Amino acid sequence: MSEPVRAEPGASAPKVFRHALVDRVFHWVTAVCVLTLLATAFLPILGVKFDWVNIHWITGVVLTIAVLFHLVRSLLWQSVRTMWIGGADVREALAILRTTLRRSGTPPKPGKYSFAQKLVHLFFAAVVLTAIVTGGLMLAHVETPWWRPNAYLLSDASWGVVYVLHDFAALSLITMVITHVYFALRPEKLLFTRAMLRGWITRREYEEHHDPNRWQVDR
Amino acid sequence: MELFRVSSDAYGREVLQGLSWDLLWVFAGAGAVLIVAHALYRALFAPKRQ
Repeated sequence: MSEPVRAEPGASAPKVFRHALVDRVFHWVTAVCVLTLLATAFLPILGVKFDWVNIHWITGVVLTIAVLFHLVRSLLWQSVRTMWIGGADVREALAILRTTLRRSGTPPKPGKYSFAQKLVHLFFAAVVLTAIVTGGLMLAHVETPWWRPNAYLLSDASWGVVYVLHDFAALSLITMVITHVYFALRPEKLLFTRAMLRGWITRREYEEHHDPNRWQVDR
Repeated sequence: MELFRVSSDAYGREVLQGLSWDLLWVFAGAGAVLIVAHALYRALFAPKRQ
């Protein structure tokens, strides 16, 4: 699928469109939700006491709605193959590994998303979906406008599995958010961070960082 | 370091309550280790793109 090149008003170089506004809004809504969920989960454990339960479950519901929206949009209006890790991605990763071990040569250029970016997306998808499903079940413990708490929805043993999975997802998100922010702030990755804020990369960045055969944009 | 949080039910049986919060520092530390490892890799080993 080819994507448009836009000439921004007043800009000398054309810009390659990378993220639609709706996808950028989804990314930042998700980011705010995840940071809020981590803060409300772990600050009380670290001794910062406040009424965290309502903020936590309401943010969890917002995150669930955002992820459902993204799922429907990506399945019906976008191509799942965009983020799918295929043979070309594995070959790209192996070629980078070979180049690194030899410490010579030029690593191959990725398509729109690199193997590493697709892998990160896969990890976030798995962990956030785990947190959402287990968190959704744990809503049965919470007094909401829609239902009364019901601790007997599952057996004690089943609740234990739900808690462990939810905790593992939450703890994993700490590692993943730390590394995600680190990579977003690295100088050679700032073009992707800008793209997630403003939607575009420059034509020159496109030519430097991407294989035009694997990510085709309009000429 | 414990891996799990457990409590006892009304019959004295052990009930799983989740992962131990001691692991918070393990996961945060893993993030820090990944950052340092990647920064060293980039500085010392990574091939330069032309």
